[in-house]
Amino acid sequence: MSDKNKGLSKAQEIYLNRLQRVKELKAAGKKIIGYPCVYVPLEMLTALDLVPYRTCGDIKEPITESDRALPSSFCPIMRTCLDCALKGKNDFLDGMVTIHSCDPQEKTARAWESYTNYPYFHFIDMPITVRPEALEYFKSQLNDFKKTLEAYTGKKLSTDKLEAAIKSHNQQRALLRELYELTKPSPPLISGTEIVQVVKALMSLPAAEGNELLTEVISEVKSRTDGPEEKSARLFIWTSILDDTEIMKVFEAKANVVMDESCGGMRAWRAGVKFTADPLEGLADYYINEITCARTFRQATLGETRKDYARDLQSRFGYLRSIVKEWKINGAIILLVRYCDPFAFEIPSLKDYLDSLRVPNIYIEYDYTIGALAPLRTRVEAFLETIS
Amino acid sequence: MTKVVLTDKSSNLLSAIKGPTGPEHRQLANKVMIQALEQASLQIDDISCIVATGYGRVNVPFADRQITELSCHARGVSSLFPNVRTAIDIGGQDTKCMKIDNGRLTGFVMNDKCAAGTGRFLEVTAAALGIELEDMGDISLKATKKIQISNMCTIFAQQEVVALLSRGEKLENIVAGLHDALASRVAVLAHRLGIKPDLVLTGGVAKNTGMVRAMKESLGCELFVPEEPLLTGALGAAILAKEIYVKTVAEGKALPTKSRRLEKATFFT
Repeated sequence: MSDKNKGLSKAQEIYLNRLQRVKELKAAGKKIIGYPCVYVPLEMLTALDLVPYRTCGDIKEPITESDRALPSSFCPIMRTCLDCALKGKNDFLDGMVTIHSCDPQEKTARAWESYTNYPYFHFIDMPITVRPEALEYFKSQLNDFKKTLEAYTGKKLSTDKLEAAIKSHNQQRALLRELYELTKPSPPLISGTEIVQVVKALMSLPAAEGNELLTEVISEVKSRTDGPEEKSARLFIWTSILDDTEIMKVFEAKANVVMDESCGGMRAWRAGVKFTADPLEGLADYYINEITCARTFRQATLGETRKDYARDLQSRFGYLRSIVKEWKINGAIILLVRYCDPFAFEIPSLKDYLDSLRVPNIYIEYDYTIGALAPLRTRVEAFLETIS
Repeated sequence: MTKVVLTDKSSNLLSAIKGPTGPEHRQLANKVMIQALEQASLQIDDISCIVATGYGRVNVPFADRQITELSCHARGVSSLFPNVRTAIDIGGQDTKCMKIDNGRLTGFVMNDKCAAGTGRFLEVTAAALGIELEDMGDISLKATKKIQISNMCTIFAQQEVVALLSRGEKLENIVAGLHDALASRVAVLAHRLGIKPDLVLTGGVAKNTGMVRAMKESLGCELFVPEEPLLTGALGAAILAKEIYVKTVAEGKALPTKSRRLEKATFFT
C-alpha cells in the first residue's frame, strides 16, 4: 500500500482540499497571490516568496453570482471562476494577478477587480501575435508587473532571485515531462484522471513543494503494480481547461487518456524558460512563444497563411506529430468549451492537421458543468465505437 | 419513447413495440419487452443476445451489451437501405447526422446546443398553435407563402409564433415556416459532416410529410424515409445483437449473457 501522506495519495488529498496548504502557509505569514491562467509568470511571484494559487472554477457549483457582472452567453470557465470569487471562496487571497490571455479573461479581470477587495491586484497586458514588437511590448508589461510587485512587497526583485525561481519552475516543467513519459507504455502507468489530480495539486502549492510532490509521484508510479487497466483506445484530448476528474472520467470509462493538451496538461510543460542576461526577456519569450494555447496565433511566416497552408498547419500544430507517434495515439478528442472563440477558431485547421496524420478525431462541444456530461458521454462512446 | 425490436438469425422482424418512456426506465423496458415477447410468442430465455441503446441504455437490467444509439441507428438504417452513406435522425431529445460506410458508423455530428435543432422544437410550437403534432405535416402542405422564423431558440420561435398569430398570419404558413426553420438548422449540422447520397431521414420527425419536404428543399437533394422511422435504432440494436451472437458462436466462445430476470421494476435499487 502506498503511503497516505506521499505521492498520489497526497496529490489526491490536495486536489480534494486545495485550500488546506495555502491556508497553513498564510497562517505562517506567507502572502498568497491568486492567478486564473497559465500565462501569468509565476516565476516572478516565487522569486519574491509569494505563494501562487490558481483560482479555479467549480463544475459542481451552479453559477448564480457572476451574471451580475458578466453576460450569460460567455466563457463558462471565466463565469465559474468569477462566481467562486464573488461567493467569497478566494477572500483569503492577499492579491490577484490577471492577464490578457484571451478577451473573456481580460473583461473578467475588470469585473474581478471591481467586485473584490484584495490588497494587491495587477493586470498584465499581453499581445496575441508572435512578432518581434509583441515581444518587446510584453517585456515592458512584465517590467511594470515587477515594479508593482516590488512596491507591494517592499522588496527588490533581484536577477539572482528571479533566476533561482526560473530554475525551480523549469524543474517542475521537466518533472511533468518525466511524468508524461509514464503514460507511454500500454497500459499507461498513470491515468489521465490521476494526472488531473496531480496537476491541480501543483496549482495549490509553492513551486518547491510541488517539485517534492512530483518527485514522490514519479517514483511511486514507476514502481507501482496497481496502475490503470488497458482499455479500448489510447486517446489524446485537445481542450482549453480540463481540471476536474469528473470530466476526465467520462473519457477514461472506456479508454486510456494518455496525453492531454490542456492548460493543466502538456501545453504548460512542453518547454522551459531560457536563461537570458535580462531574465524578463527569457520569460517574455517563453510565455509568448512556447505555450501552445489557442490564444496565440502562430503563422509560419507573418502574413502568408494563404500561400502555404500545409506549412502553416505545421507551424501551428506541428508539435502534435511526435505526440501521436510516441504515445501511439489512436483517437483524438477536440473538446471545446462552449463560447470559447479562440479555441473554436483553431478547430477546422486542427481537424485538417489530424486528418493529415491519419488520426481519427471528433469535435465535441460542452458546457463545462457537471449537468452537461450525459450528452458528452454518448458522443465519446459513439466515437470509441467508430474507431474500435 | 422506448422501443423493442426482436429479430431472428436472418434479421427478419419478429416483433416491434413502442411505448412512452417517462421517468421509470426500468419499468417501461420490462413492460415493452414483455409485449414484444408476447407478439413474437417467445419466452425471455429464447432470446440469444440483447443490446440496449439510447440515453437509457445503462438502465435496461436484462441487456447483455450497451451500444450507443449512433452505431445502432447507422446499422439499422443500412439494413433497410444498403446504399445509405448519410443518415439524419431527428428525435425528441437530439438530432444526429451520421456518416455510414459499408453499414458501419464512420463519423457523426449531433446538435450541440439545445432543443432548437430537434423534434422538440415542433412539439413546443405545435402546443403554442393549439394543433396536434401529427397534423403539422398536412397543415403545412397548404401553405401559400414563405415565413421566416428563428431557428436559434425554441422559446423565441414560440414567441414569434404567438406574434404571427396575433398579426392574423395563416396557420398553414406559420407551420410551413416552422418546418423550414428546423430543416435549415439541421441542414447546417449535416453540412458540417458532409452529405453523400444515399441520404436517409429517420426519427419521429420523418413521419411528418411537411418536414420531409422542408428537408429536401434545405439540403437540395432527394432523401429516403423508412416505413417505421422511429424503429431504426432498435432495429440496429437487434441486428448488432445478432452479429455479436453469430461471431461469438463462430469463435466458440461463451455468450456474454446475463441472468435474465423480467421482474417487477426495482427502480434504482
